[in-house]
Amino acid sequence: MLMLQDIRKSYRIGPTEVEVLKGVTLEIQRGELIAIMGPSGCGKSTLMNIIGLLDRPTSGRFLIDGSEVSYADDDALSEIRNQRIGFVFQQYFLLSRLTAIENVELPLVYRGDAHRFTRERSMELLRRVGMEERAAHRPSELSGGQQQRVAIARALVGKPSLILADEPTGALDTQVGHEIMELFRTLNREDGITVVIITHDPGIAAQCDRSAVMQDGVIVQ
Amino acid sequence: MILRANLKEAARSLLSSKQRTILALIGIVIGIGSVIAMVSVGKIVQEESLRQFREMGTDILTIEKDMGGGPDSKPGGGAPGPGAALRLADILAIPGACPGIDTVAPMARGGGEISFNGKKLEQAGALGVTESFLGINKLKIGQGRFLTDMDEQSRYCVIGNAVANQMPQLGGGQPIGGKIRIGDNLFTVIGVLKPVPEGGMRRFEPNTSILIHITTGMRAFVNAEIGSVTAHVRTGVSNKTAGEQVKAHFTAKAKGLSVRVTSPEEVVAQMEKQMQMFTLLLGAIGSISLIVGGVGVMNVMLVSVTERRREIGIRRALGAKRGDIRGQFLIESVILSLVGGLLGILFGVGASRIIAHFAHWQFALSTSAILLGVGVSNAVGVFFGYYPARQASLLDPIVALKSD
Repeated sequence: MLMLQDIRKSYRIGPTEVEVLKGVTLEIQRGELIAIMGPSGCGKSTLMNIIGLLDRPTSGRFLIDGSEVSYADDDALSEIRNQRIGFVFQQYFLLSRLTAIENVELPLVYRGDAHRFTRERSMELLRRVGMEERAAHRPSELSGGQQQRVAIARALVGKPSLILADEPTGALDTQVGHEIMELFRTLNREDGITVVIITHDPGIAAQCDRSAVMQDGVIVQ
Repeated sequence: MILRANLKEAARSLLSSKQRTILALIGIVIGIGSVIAMVSVGKIVQEESLRQFREMGTDILTIEKDMGGGPDSKPGGGAPGPGAALRLADILAIPGACPGIDTVAPMARGGGEISFNGKKLEQAGALGVTESFLGINKLKIGQGRFLTDMDEQSRYCVIGNAVANQMPQLGGGQPIGGKIRIGDNLFTVIGVLKPVPEGGMRRFEPNTSILIHITTGMRAFVNAEIGSVTAHVRTGVSNKTAGEQVKAHFTAKAKGLSVRVTSPEEVVAQMEKQMQMFTLLLGAIGSISLIVGGVGVMNVMLVSVTERRREIGIRRALGAKRGDIRGQFLIESVILSLVGGLLGILFGVGASRIIAHFAHWQFALSTSAILLGVGVSNAVGVFFGYYPARQASLLDPIVALKSD
């Protein structure tokens, strides 16, 4: 469902041009749980930004469900992010002023869905990640693991075809990190959601179906 | 819905940084408040003048000697020149000669020191008038009686309310019967006028006037000259026709002397023009504080955008379009400005009410000023909020997500 062909990305830093991605080719099947692994500075964050449509490649082709997406205009990219991609970040990135359920609702709000529907659907997702008791709490009243569960509910609420998780357990202790990984595995197994996890931790990668290792701007295995 | 979520979010965001919000509000409140106060005071003054004017009646003409500047006042050619004056006899002949005029009231201003009990009377001016003066100027007698045409050459005077109020402090008892010195002559007070609200359409201030008969005045005043004549137009005759008749009368009677006849319509037109300038000026002064207030809003919004860069990044990642982000921040600044505007309206209306109270004007709530306030505050919110909102919408999501 995801197809990257010879993706290159370079940044201009002052007078010199630095090539961060040097021709990444990767195919991800529907329903896969895949880890993209590599040391810091290998370009995996840049790759994640491109897969997440937050950034555009300098050259190469990127197809989601068979359609070329990475050169679409800003509004179109926003819409694809909203419809097809669910983000999970290392720092959870919940909005601190909003309650848990309001955070989960956000992607639906940007779709323009009716309030009654978004509430119901968000509550359903909070139940799915075991956070329905905390729906009215603000992020500051939740533990790191709980916040990440809310963030996962937010990623899932819009029924995306892809969950893109950037070091999802990086800020959590091993036990809680394990629980979060377990949740991803369950979602992947039971709902058939494609999950891409970016990590530098081989332990996390080992829990995935497959892992792609990046080094110096290319995928080496 | 996005709008609903944005409104809620804007309210939350403004409430979460109370201090900053309040500071920006103060700016807007003062800005809108001063515009409203200025415009509404302008309106009140305008209505007050018109009201007083209507009290005076619209059938009154003012006749003055043309001081020059007009096309019909060329010097030379055997004309009496600028020294020529309105003569009392010619004036008193107007009702007979002009069918459109039924009454005339000439007025001569007097110079000279005015004193009572040997002490100077502050704020007093002597006027030579006739019996018709009282009625035509819509004045009322409070005590005693007014001058009649039987008082020609007499040493009687009728005083304004403010003059009467000064007399006890100068050691006088009852004003009636008191003796006032004008120049070298002593006048006995025979009547006191009822107080009149200040700032009317009259060419004199009734409350501080000392009225004596014009025939006495012409002899007693230094450099006595009849300055203006008030004429009452007969019912059913237009002001224009009556005015033409008066002009013709003077052309026939006093060769070379040209008179200027001012009708109430002209005065109103002139007054409205002046009031418009006045209101415009006041509005412009108010607008300056409004701009300052608007810059305050912009500042708060810019800080808000900078502080919430990461939030913007998160929202963008979740699918917010640039327009959604711009809308969110615009709504916030419009809400801020509208709240400021509403408070400003209260402040402005309150201020104009206080001003009206102390100036003894009739307070009038100006709906146009309120609409102006709401409209302007909205515009300020959009205008000064647009730049920060645009900055927010143009943030690169990746950069925004990385910032803290």
